Amino acid sequence: MSEARNKMQPKKTTTTLFIDKDSWVQHLHPFTKLSYILLTGVAVYSGLFSWKYTSLLLLINIVLVISGTICREVCQALGRIMLPLILFMLPIHGFLYPDNSTIFLEVYGMTLYQEGLYFALTTLLKLTVVLITSLLFVFSTHPADLITALSQAGKSPSLAYLLGSPLLLLAGMRERIETIQAAQRARGLHTDGNVFRRFCSLAPLILPLVVGAITEVEQRSIALEVRGFKSTSAKTSLRILTDTTLQRLSRWGMLAAAATIILFRCAW
Amino acid sequence: MVELETDLLTYQYPGSEEASLHEVSMRIPAGEFVAVIGANNSGKSTLCYALTGVIPHLYHGKMQGKVLIAGTDNKDKTVSEIALHVGLVLQVPGSQMSGVRYSVFEEVAFGLENRGVPRKIMRKRVNKILALIGLEKYAMHSPFHLSGGQQQRLALATILAADPAVIVLDEPTTFLDPQGAKLVFDILGQLQQQGKTIVITEQRLDLIAEYADRVLAFDKGHLVMDGKPEEVLTSRVMQTIHLDWTRYTQVVDLASQKGLLPVDFPLTASLSETVAILSPSREKHAHSR
Repeated sequence: MSEARNKMQPKKTTTTLFIDKDSWVQHLHPFTKLSYILLTGVAVYSGLFSWKYTSLLLLINIVLVISGTICREVCQALGRIMLPLILFMLPIHGFLYPDNSTIFLEVYGMTLYQEGLYFALTTLLKLTVVLITSLLFVFSTHPADLITALSQAGKSPSLAYLLGSPLLLLAGMRERIETIQAAQRARGLHTDGNVFRRFCSLAPLILPLVVGAITEVEQRSIALEVRGFKSTSAKTSLRILTDTTLQRLSRWGMLAAAATIILFRCAW
Repeated sequence: MVELETDLLTYQYPGSEEASLHEVSMRIPAGEFVAVIGANNSGKSTLCYALTGVIPHLYHGKMQGKVLIAGTDNKDKTVSEIALHVGLVLQVPGSQMSGVRYSVFEEVAFGLENRGVPRKIMRKRVNKILALIGLEKYAMHSPFHLSGGQQQRLALATILAADPAVIVLDEPTTFLDPQGAKLVFDILGQLQQQGKTIVITEQRLDLIAEYADRVLAFDKGHLVMDGKPEEVLTSRVMQTIHLDWTRYTQVVDLASQKGLLPVDFPLTASLSETVAILSPSREKHAHSR
């Protein structure tokens, strides 16, 4: 559990995707959650387990999402990503999957096959499981906790920064896009309308965005340097990440399980 | 006591055809409030970077001459080591945030974490700095949700955390409204009273006239004038380096031209000085100048 978070909760929403809730899922060590992502990904895509086991993982994920009190956010993100995939994959594989042979349904002379539907559904199930696991991590882990964990594990500060900062700086980037869009609109550029129109408005948006981002990177690197970021002295941390023996053991357990699955898959 | 000194400093950025600083020699004693003025591309920012070691450590252009920080050549120390003595506040407040800290409190502590300051001392020092800067009630807010003025004060706080003897500020009030700019100068004035040396590049000449002890005027990389604010800011040199007089200087000058004041009436640069010199006892003030 992050004691620092308890003591220093911003009253406003943060700029990250992190949802500030006070549940045990949020307080898990970031490495424990990363180990779980790894194990889930390996288990789902190893091909060693049937859809029933994948469904069991889905069930575990649902329990974790409910425990983490981030149901609404996960459902919204899941809907936005999965709905288009469902709409495309089901008919495409249902009608056109190469191994289609067993008719499931015939509509106006078009035949939907069981094999294609089964393939599409299992693929979607795998995607959903991996996606929920990732969303669980993103919504329940503050980037600063991840960076602190990496630093405390003795990883290079630059690596920790490289991994953690994009999540925090994303919001700044979004604000800049909105500002540039407003400025371009004020100069008569149409940023709304059909796809073609929107596409044409991309260049005047992207160029200032990239140039601005490069300038900001330069300024930020100077700012970090003068604040001792590359100082060789031993670093300390204001944030306190509590790591328990149980979590450490479970991490090793999950890593060992992932390695075993990979070995089995290679030998199989 | 940390003194800054440049000795025939010349610097040319990589890829640039002209030098940004030409043989600049000057000395800034401890405890002084020094303002650096000049038009765009006059070399002000380059001087800030040289005084903080960003040049030559992060910009690898052609450098001649020396920059001495407390008697040590800035080439012999890393930027991080120099930052313990000389802090740098940049123009754009948002880009000075680490981008990896959750709250204003943590953002200020970031530099202390990098330097291995124990947690207990860190908390004390951050609280003290936030109180000084007037951001204590925003301690738990996200740095990215502060206003421009608050972010600039936060940027100053992040530098003050290391407790440097010298604070170099590169146009810190550019994005601030007049009140925000005044507040920054008030804080700098307080810091000077606590013994800090302030070096600031700034375009708001009326504030410089009120707060600075000394003004360095730059033009195309050359140090063209070095003196007290009332000397430099009321000098004819100001026009040649594409800067205007303050409105107070202009008022006194116009009044002299219109015959409202004697032709040889001394020009003033700040409000307080102008009020003093135009008061009934002006003869005494004028005489004392």
